[in-house]
Amino acid sequence: MAFLEIKSLCKSFESYSVLKDIDLSIEKGEFVVFVGPSGCGKSTLLRMITGLETPTSGTIAIEDEVINDVDPARRGTAMVFQSYALYPHMTVFQNISFGLRMSRKPKALIRERVEKAAAILRLDKLLDRKPAQLSGGQKQRVAIGRAIVREPRVFLFDEPLSNLDAELRVQMRAELLELHERLGTTMIYVTHDQVEAMTLADKMVVMSGGRIQQYGRPLDLYDDPDNKFVAGFVGSPKMNFLSATVASVGAGGLRADLAAGGAAALPLIEALAPGARIDIGIRPEQLSVVAAGQAPSADAVSVAGRVALIEDLGAESYLHLHLADDSRIGVRTARHAAHLGEEVRVAAPAAGVLVFDEAGARLRGRA
Amino acid sequence: MTSAAAARISVWTVLKWATAIAIAVITIFPIWWMINVVFSLPGEPVAINPRLWPTSLSAGLEKIEMIFTQTGYLRAYGISLAYALLTILGVLFIGSLAAFEFALFDFPAKGPIFGIVMLSLMVPTAVTIIPTYLLTSNLGWLNSLQGLVVPGLASAFGLFMLVQFMRAIPKDMIEAARLDGAGHFQIYWHVALPLCRNALVTLAILTFMQTWGNYMWPLIVTTSPEMYTVGQVVGMFNAPLSHQTVDVVMTANLLAAVPPLLFFLIFQRKIVEGIAMSGTKG
Ligand SMILES: Nc1ncnc2c1ncn2[C@@H]1O[C@H](COP(=O)(O)OP(=O)(O)OP(=O)(O)O)[C@@H](O)[C@H]1O
Ligand SMILES: [Mg+2]
Repeated sequence: MAFLEIKSLCKSFESYSVLKDIDLSIEKGEFVVFVGPSGCGKSTLLRMITGLETPTSGTIAIEDEVINDVDPARRGTAMVFQSYALYPHMTVFQNISFGLRMSRKPKALIRERVEKAAAILRLDKLLDRKPAQLSGGQKQRVAIGRAIVREPRVFLFDEPLSNLDAELRVQMRAELLELHERLGTTMIYVTHDQVEAMTLADKMVVMSGGRIQQYGRPLDLYDDPDNKFVAGFVGSPKMNFLSATVASVGAGGLRADLAAGGAAALPLIEALAPGARIDIGIRPEQLSVVAAGQAPSADAVSVAGRVALIEDLGAESYLHLHLADDSRIGVRTARHAAHLGEEVRVAAPAAGVLVFDEAGARLRGRA
Repeated sequence: MTSAAAARISVWTVLKWATAIAIAVITIFPIWWMINVVFSLPGEPVAINPRLWPTSLSAGLEKIEMIFTQTGYLRAYGISLAYALLTILGVLFIGSLAAFEFALFDFPAKGPIFGIVMLSLMVPTAVTIIPTYLLTSNLGWLNSLQGLVVPGLASAFGLFMLVQFMRAIPKDMIEAARLDGAGHFQIYWHVALPLCRNALVTLAILTFMQTWGNYMWPLIVTTSPEMYTVGQVVGMFNAPLSHQTVDVVMTANLLAAVPPLLFFLIFQRKIVEGIAMSGTKG
């Protein structure tokens, strides 16, 4: 059995169901990131693991022990809050040692553990300060220090970096990874920023509407999403979706008419009736501008549109194309690949596109 | 243009200062008059040609000594102090415990219970004083310190004020303490109490002023002279049939005013802050 095992976990607040049938196994030492849009239940899941909320049904087990009814302080979990939740009237030392003092640990042990944590987090010189005298990043480190001294089996972070500015956030991310390497402890991290999730995670849990949409390595989720939600959520800039109607399905694959004009031949065999609606997902970097006068290769999905906006990012440019059906797609190209207002045709190799059915489920049948 | 503005400002400034000085004079004069009467030879300040400044330190000290040694004043001082301090401790402890529960936790019928407590704020003392007296009397607490103190221990106003403060404590902080293994009482003691220190100080000050100046309740509950509070003793000095001369009466009054005055001088800033806070937050 896995290190942390969650089985058919549900949570409702009164009649409002927040989490539905969550199953999740986390291995020891993994850095797992829960990611999803606001309100999808990430914090609630985290709070149930640490014991601040009680599950409506289902079990949570750590190292084969069901902890549903174990006191929060004895679960071996330590949580870092988004607001840091530092006690303003205590010094950094007192803040970090609070838990140890509450459980009446010997003074020498307290001092030793606090000093060790302070050294790891570079807080040595700040131990006598009050939280009000610290910067945002330092407060964050104190909050982490408070978790470290408890020597937990699992660290839980609820959007710990969202109060920091962009630069500090990148720096703290690196520090967290370093900390994970150093301690080797299992960490669960909640964020709604998918870039943060991609950079931090060993495994990523994409949640939406109270359900786990997909669980796996970040790059696997990027390359091989299970559904349209995951495909659209993971990756920045976002994946483009072209709506299309199935024209025919044969041994050679599937032919579809794009709503934006043109047809596409896809190497896909699925039991789809002609006329069924599908979505074709193409990542911006898969698309390239087809030079004027040149025909796109036969096995490519191509579409034409007017350049509505160009974002010059330096090394590359990001084109926003306005298509005939009024939708917009993004294209990542080399600099100066197109001019504003110009009509261009872009194409992507058909093997690189993803197809989703009307309900958003991924169609994988390969020809 | 500029000169007009300057003129307006100066008129305004003059008015402001004049008002402030007038208020200060009106407030301070009675106290000053008291000092003046006490530290003068008998009769001098009220003579045809009254003086506005003290003339004899020794005359004043003599009167103070006389009052302390020949009347029950010193004992009354002790009782009043005990009454005030015990009430403060009780109000702070009970009020903060109750506020902790009301502000940070949910329990059945919390809303209605809080509503009832707040409703009691609107009932004038005159209405409750007789039932309270009967209750105290039935407990056999007349003429005792507990009879003085206990009925004043639960302060609805104090609860209201502390609840406002404790509501401002972030929920995360309480949860973090819980995850750190702190028990219910430990959270109260180590987290909630220190975080509303300012409110506690304010409440202590307000309670002190209220109990030290409380005349009605001691008058009803402590009828035997050995349990008299300062207020009652001063009341006897002030009574129309008192055989004391004006300057001795003034001395008794001055002595009664000293603790609140000292209190004010020490805590002046806190008092202003506290009242401002209880006004904006409440
Ligand atoms: N104590 C509660 N009572 C009722 N509803 C709640 C409670 N706590 C959370 N919810 C609801 O549960 C849903 C999930 O909340 P949760 O805080 O887990 O979302 P989240 O994914 O962490 O979102 P965010 O990214 O904004 O933090 C929300 O719709 C929220 O309104
Ligand atoms: Mg959240």
